[in-house]
Amino acid sequence: MALTRELSAETRQVNGENTSRVVVSAAADKELVDSLRRGEEASYESLVRSFGPQVLAITRRYLKSEADAADCFQETFIAVFKGIDTYAGQSSLRQWVRGIAINQSLMALRKRKRAREESIEHMMPLFDDSGSRVESAGEHQRSSIEAEIDTASLKVSVRQGIDKLPDDFRVVLLLRDIDGLNTRETAAILGIELNAVKTRLHRARTALRYILQPVFGASKS
Amino acid sequence: MMLTCKEFDDFMVDYLGDGLPVWQKYMCWLHVKMCRECAHFVREYKRTIDLGKAAFDDQGDQVPDSVPEELIRAALAHRKNN
Ligand SMILES: [Zn+2]
Repeated sequence: MALTRELSAETRQVNGENTSRVVVSAAADKELVDSLRRGEEASYESLVRSFGPQVLAITRRYLKSEADAADCFQETFIAVFKGIDTYAGQSSLRQWVRGIAINQSLMALRKRKRAREESIEHMMPLFDDSGSRVESAGEHQRSSIEAEIDTASLKVSVRQGIDKLPDDFRVVLLLRDIDGLNTRETAAILGIELNAVKTRLHRARTALRYILQPVFGASKS
Repeated sequence: MMLTCKEFDDFMVDYLGDGLPVWQKYMCWLHVKMCRECAHFVREYKRTIDLGKAAFDDQGDQVPDSVPEELIRAALAHRKNN
């Protein structure tokens, strides 16, 4: 089916979309949205199969637990099906679905009972009374994660490091550094001040840097 | 008048994200040039950001090739029931 082919072509695209592909994607979006609005059964399946992998990756990223991610996957597509009439075509359908997946994940996080979280205070840099950096926090901590440096295990180490951050910090880091929202968009989606976004982002990156010290140590040698 | 390390640290997100007026950006740049500790910190901080992005590269191993069939079936069944 032509539509499925076009959508899977879009799935493979990364950055630097060329104009013709954008046109193809826009046409495929319109065709799919029209058939969803007409209530054609096959189009729902096409949507879930095309966008499902991306949605599942997002819900897993924010929710960590596989069961929560699966529940949120369902909630996302329910919201997409219900909201398809409101899709105005200002962003690509993929971007729109992605936004809904992120929103649903954040809602699920808010509802979830919070596990006890470790403070990240000891991961922050130290300054003396004159404001000079005393030492880069974490330089003496070398053993909490594996220091293997091949790409696959490095990715796993980094993801595990991010998962160790308290949710308030982890979510801001995911929204800003991974999902590419700007400060204003992040503040809006979380309902917090711009400065709070910046502070949380800085503390999240600083704590992650602390957690990743074994990686830096290994790559230096 | 040079920024202290603490003052520079407070500007870090804006400094790396193009959110600073030219003069403040210059003051931060100057601090990094003059301060070995902060230069080291910035290097690792930037690498941390890059590693984070790479770890969740959407074209890499974080997007599952396929979604478990039962999840797809459940999503479609949900729609019919609602
Ligand atoms: Zn300094």
